[in-house]
Amino acid sequence: MSPLADRLRRAASALARSPQAGLVLVILVAGAGLAIAGGSHTDPASGATINNFLNAHTLFQMATDASGFAIMGVGATIVIIAGGIDLSAGAVYALAGVVMAMVLRAAGPLDPAVTVALGLGTCIAVSLACGVANGVMVVGLQVHPFIITLGTMWMLRGIAFVASHAESIPVPAALTHVAKASIGLGATLSPVPLLSMLAVTLIGSVYLTRTVMGRHIFAVGGNPEASRFAGLPVQRIKLGVFVLSSLTAGAAAFLGASFYGSATSSDANGYELYVIASAVVGGASLTGGKGSAVSAMLGALLIVLIRQAIRTLHLDQNYEWIIIGGAMIVAVVLDQGGTKLVARRVAAAAGRRPSSPTEQNPAPESR
Amino acid sequence: MVPAVRFSGVTKRFPGVVALHDVSFEIAPGSCHAVCGENGAGKSTLGKLLTGLDCPDEGTIELDGRAVRFARPAEALAAGVAMVHQELASCANLSVAENLCLGRLPSRWTIVDRAAMRARAAELLAEIGAEIDPSKPMSSLSVAEQQLVQIASAVGSGARVIVFDEPTSSLSDGETARLFDLVPRLTARGVTLLYVSHRMPEIFRLSDHLTVLRDGEHVATRATGEMDERELVQLMIGRRLEQYFPGHLTASPGEELLSVRDLACRGKFERISLTLRAGEVLGLAGLVGAGRSEIAKALFGLEPSVTGEVRARGTPVRIRSARDAMRLGIGLVPEDRKLEGLVLSMSALENVTLPLLETVSTSSWVRKRDERAMARRYFDRLRVKVANADAPASGLSGGNQQKLVLARWLAAGSRVLILDEPTRGVDVGAKAELHEWIDQLASEGHGILLISSELPELLHLSTRIIVLRQGRMAGEVSRGNATQDLLLRMMAGLAAT
Repeated sequence: MSPLADRLRRAASALARSPQAGLVLVILVAGAGLAIAGGSHTDPASGATINNFLNAHTLFQMATDASGFAIMGVGATIVIIAGGIDLSAGAVYALAGVVMAMVLRAAGPLDPAVTVALGLGTCIAVSLACGVANGVMVVGLQVHPFIITLGTMWMLRGIAFVASHAESIPVPAALTHVAKASIGLGATLSPVPLLSMLAVTLIGSVYLTRTVMGRHIFAVGGNPEASRFAGLPVQRIKLGVFVLSSLTAGAAAFLGASFYGSATSSDANGYELYVIASAVVGGASLTGGKGSAVSAMLGALLIVLIRQAIRTLHLDQNYEWIIIGGAMIVAVVLDQGGTKLVARRVAAAAGRRPSSPTEQNPAPESR
Repeated sequence: MVPAVRFSGVTKRFPGVVALHDVSFEIAPGSCHAVCGENGAGKSTLGKLLTGLDCPDEGTIELDGRAVRFARPAEALAAGVAMVHQELASCANLSVAENLCLGRLPSRWTIVDRAAMRARAAELLAEIGAEIDPSKPMSSLSVAEQQLVQIASAVGSGARVIVFDEPTSSLSDGETARLFDLVPRLTARGVTLLYVSHRMPEIFRLSDHLTVLRDGEHVATRATGEMDERELVQLMIGRRLEQYFPGHLTASPGEELLSVRDLACRGKFERISLTLRAGEVLGLAGLVGAGRSEIAKALFGLEPSVTGEVRARGTPVRIRSARDAMRLGIGLVPEDRKLEGLVLSMSALENVTLPLLETVSTSSWVRKRDERAMARRYFDRLRVKVANADAPASGLSGGNQQKLVLARWLAAGSRVLILDEPTRGVDVGAKAELHEWIDQLASEGHGILLISSELPELLHLSTRIIVLRQGRMAGEVSRGNATQDLLLRMMAGLAAT
C-alpha cells in the first residue's frame, strides 16, 4: 500500500474510533437525507439545476448561523467541563455588541484598521470584565454558578438595554467589510464566520487537550477535592473558565455585530440555551469532567442543520421549537447509549487480556 | 435440617469476565455465614444474586429448600431477603421514621398518619435495640446509625435472610462494636446472615461458618473455628504470605527531613510536636476524631488556619498550599482515595502526572511523550497493573488506585510521604504489597508518616509511634515498648507515659 493511502486509511480509522464519530455520522446522514428530500430548483439566471440544500449559499448561510453558537459553545464546554454552567453568555454577547457600537459611534470616523482594532478591543474588554465578574462571584460568594449567571444574565442584558435606549445601533462599514470579506470566493459568499468558527474550535480543542491549563480544567471538573489535594489552584481555575466563556461570547458578538451591521440589546436572546445545548449535544457532561470543543462545534452544526431542515422541507416554521427540543433530547439519549456501548466494549476487551482478573477489578465487583 | 440458603452451580458472567463460576454451598438457618475473598473474587456479586439485583446465568438458588429466582430487589424482599449496603441507600432529607416506613407509609385518605408512622418506627428500632429518635432527620445520623436503621427496616419487613455487604468499611471502631453487638441478637431470632467481608478480625469474631471465593471460584466452606487467620489468607489469595521483618528498621535513621513544634489548629488539634528523619516510619495512632488526618492535611498545606513552627530539613518554612508542600518535597496519600486522592474520570496516567504537568511541558504545552514516559517509569517501579494507562482510574482495584497516588508523589520527588490509612479497603494481597513498599521506600531514604487505624499495621512497620487523643499528643512510644494493649490504653486515655 502506498504511504498516502496508508495514512488516509489510518486517519479514517482514527476518525471512526474518535468520540466524535457518532455526531459526524448523524450530521452526514441528516445532510444527505436533506439533499435528497429537499428537491431542487432551476436558477433563473443561468438555467442550471440547483439542489435546495446542497448549494454553496445555503451551506455558507448555515455555517454563519452556526458560527455564533459554535464559538460560544466552545466557551460553554470549557465551563461545563470544569463542573460549572454559564447562562450569561447571550447577555454578554448583547452587552459587548452594544458597547462596541456605542464606542465606535462616539469615536466617529476613523481609519478602517483602527476601527476594527477598537471594535475588537472593546468587545474583548467588555466580555473580559463580565467574565471576571461572573468568576469572582462564583468563587467568592460560594453560590452555584447557575444562580450567579442567571442573575448576571438579566443584569447584563438590562445594562445593555438601558445604555442603548433599546435602539439598534449601526456599526461602521469597516467592520462589515471584514466580516463579509469574500477572500476570493466570489462576491456573494462570506467565509469569515466559518473560518472564525473553525479557528476558535481548533484553539479551544488544543487548549483543552494539549495544555496544562486544559488538563487542570478536566481535573477540577472531575473531582475538585482531589484536585486540591494534588495542589492545583482550584479557585483560580474555576474563575478562569468563566472568563474564557465570556471571551468567546465577546468574540461572537464582534463577529455577529460586524456581519449584520448593527447591535441591539436584544441580540443573541436565548443564545445561552442554544449554546449549552450545543455543548450537551456534543457530549459534555453537566456533572463535569467530560466534553470536547470539536463536539460542541458539531453540536452547534447539528442544531442549525435541524433548523435548516425545517426551512428546506417547507415544514411549518411554527413547529421549530418543538422539533429542536425533541431532537436535542433524542441526540443526547443516543449519545449516552453509544457511550455505554463503547464502555462495555472496552470493558470486554480489557477482560480478555491475559493479566489476572483480580487486578483489573472488573465492573461487576465495583459498586 | 433444610438449609436457609443453598447455592448450586451458580455462574454469573459479565461482559468480558466470569464473576462467579459454578459456585455451590449452603447456609444453615440462624447462622452468620461469612463470604470472604479479595476484591474481584465475586463476593459482592453473590450478594447481588441473592437479593435480586442480578440474576444468575446458570445454577439455582434455594431458600428453605425452594428454588427462587428474583428479577428485582422487591421480589427478594417479599421472599424475606434483605440487604444492608456498603454504601447507604436512604433518603437523607427525610426523617428516620419516614425512611423506616417508606413504601408502606401509614395514611388516611392519602394524608400521612404521622403518629402511627412514628409509633411503627419506634417499634422497629426497639426490636433491634437501637436507641435512635425516629423524628430525627436521617442526615443527622452517623453512618453506623444509618446502618442500624437499614437493619431495623430489613428486620421489620420480615426478612429472614440479611446480606451485609462490607458493612464496616465506613465505620469507626466504636460504631463497628455496636454493629457487632447486633449480630448475635439477630441470629438468636433465627435470622440468617450472609456477611460479605475481607476483614479478618470481624470474620473471626462474628461468623460461625465461612466460604472463601477466589477469582469467582468456590475455594472452601468450613466452620470458622476450624481455621486460623493465616490459613484463611492463604485460601483467599492462593499463595503463602511471608511474614518478614521490615528492612528499614535495621538501618539507623538519617538526616532530619521535617520537624514540627507546637502545631495547632483551632478546634482540631494543638501542641503537636514531632520530627521525622530519613529512613524512618513514624506511626500516628489515635481513635477517629483524634486529629490524625487533620494534622496530615495541615502539614500538606490544606488547613489555612494552622499555627506553629515547621522546619523542612532545618529551614523554617510556611506551608500555605498543597503546592508549597509539594515544592518542599512533601507528598500526601489521603485517607479517601476516591474522594480526595484521584480524579476517577481521568486516566491512570493523567492521575499520576496531574500536579507535575509543568515538568513535562514547554510553556504550558504538554509533551505527551514525556508525560507518558514519566508515568510509565513509576507504573513499572511500583508494579501498577493497568491493562490500559489511558482508561479511567475508576476501573482499577483499590490497591492499584492507591499506588497511583503514591506514584504521583514519588514522581514529584517527595522525600516526606504522609500516608493516611494507605491500606484501608484494599485486599489482603495488595495490603501486603503496600507494606513492602512502605518498608522499601523508608529504606531508600524517604521519611514516612504513617497514619493507620490498624494497630498491627502500625506495630509491624513503625520505627516510633506517636499516640494522639482528642487533638493532643498522648505520648510517643518506641518500637521496643509498643504493644497493642499499651497503644489502646493511651488512645483511650487510660495510661500516661
